[in-house]
Amino acid sequence: MGEMEQMKKEAEGLKTQIEAARKAVNDTDMASAAAGVAPAPRVQLKTRRTLKGHLAKIYAMHWCTDNRLMVSASQDGKLLIWDSHSGNKVNAVPLKSSWVMTCAYAPSGNLVASGGLDNMCTVYNLKTPVIKTVKELDAHAGYLSCCRFLSDNEILTASGDTTCALWDLETGKQTTVFLSHVGDCMCLALSPDNNSFISGACDSLAKLWDIRDGQCKQTFLGHTSDINAISFLPSGNAVVTGSDDCTCKMYDLRADQEVICYQDAALNSGVTSLALSMSGRLVFAGYDDFNCNIWDSLKGEKVGVLSGHDNRVSCTGVPADGMCVCTGSWDSFLKIWN
Amino acid sequence: MDVYCSNNVLQARRTVEQLRLETELQRIKISAAAEQIVQYCQEHRRADPLLTGIAASSNPFKDKKTCVLL
Repeated sequence: MGEMEQMKKEAEGLKTQIEAARKAVNDTDMASAAAGVAPAPRVQLKTRRTLKGHLAKIYAMHWCTDNRLMVSASQDGKLLIWDSHSGNKVNAVPLKSSWVMTCAYAPSGNLVASGGLDNMCTVYNLKTPVIKTVKELDAHAGYLSCCRFLSDNEILTASGDTTCALWDLETGKQTTVFLSHVGDCMCLALSPDNNSFISGACDSLAKLWDIRDGQCKQTFLGHTSDINAISFLPSGNAVVTGSDDCTCKMYDLRADQEVICYQDAALNSGVTSLALSMSGRLVFAGYDDFNCNIWDSLKGEKVGVLSGHDNRVSCTGVPADGMCVCTGSWDSFLKIWN
Repeated sequence: MDVYCSNNVLQARRTVEQLRLETELQRIKISAAAEQIVQYCQEHRRADPLLTGIAASSNPFKDKKTCVLL
């Protein structure tokens, strides 16, 4: 077992080196750097729409790039496509497996995808006269926790089998498998320039990946439990994570470490989902305690709360034009706020 | 026993390789990084509807009050 001992020793040595390198650039934190910035105003949003239609817990939602349509997934075994302006249901997609955990809208608006305990990512074409299943992406050895389209030809998935994968939608095969997490992957987010993505997992780590070469470029430590939600700041230089440890954190990519933590002693519910406002100043975080708390991303203060759901807030999303925030809940409703 | 050993060895090798890669990263000071994030937020704050508020007339989600003929 000489090799194992040697590698353990080398690993410990490298970890110490990385820690020292991070410490060397740790000359301040975000709140201190933002001391001169005016505090964000108290944010009081009203419920503008309550979308009723699902018959069971909602697990995921995703906005279309047209800022109007959105897709939601529920364990009632359906994907619903909503027109958020009118509040009407535009389409209903019956799922083969009702144990859905994620859904996504393609940037083109032509396709949606879903997946969950069936370990598959199923892609549907919304533009054919009758909605058709385009592909069933079947290679993960664990549940599908998250998926995001890069285009009508490529999709990224995160799985309970600890891997993420990039798929070619023409062949239905995995182009790249992203290996490094040692716990179930729970969430992923694409960088604004689409060259990289970030993943969060049950190993309490967030990892930054290069989409094309498949390499894990950076690993972010700090959380003490599963990371359930993750998002890039619009600038692409930082990411925000939400965890079962009841906190959200911002990690800066170039400083390679946590720069601020969003937490409150009174909050002892896990974070299930999060979304950022257009400038990145506001973080909308959904919690197990039925609320969505609004944080000032620069100062770390709570500036508002969205109360109205009767069960866990499971998903949150802000459309590209930043005109509202949508929350989805285990109470089977989606709410639009602004 | 052998399979577990070789899986652990493979895992350990991957971990070491990953750590070697991450050690090479060039990091910048948090003060410089944070300043850029603050700048971005400030530059884009007026274009952030949820931050500035939305006028009722330009809010697609505001219910337009219809006239009711009695």
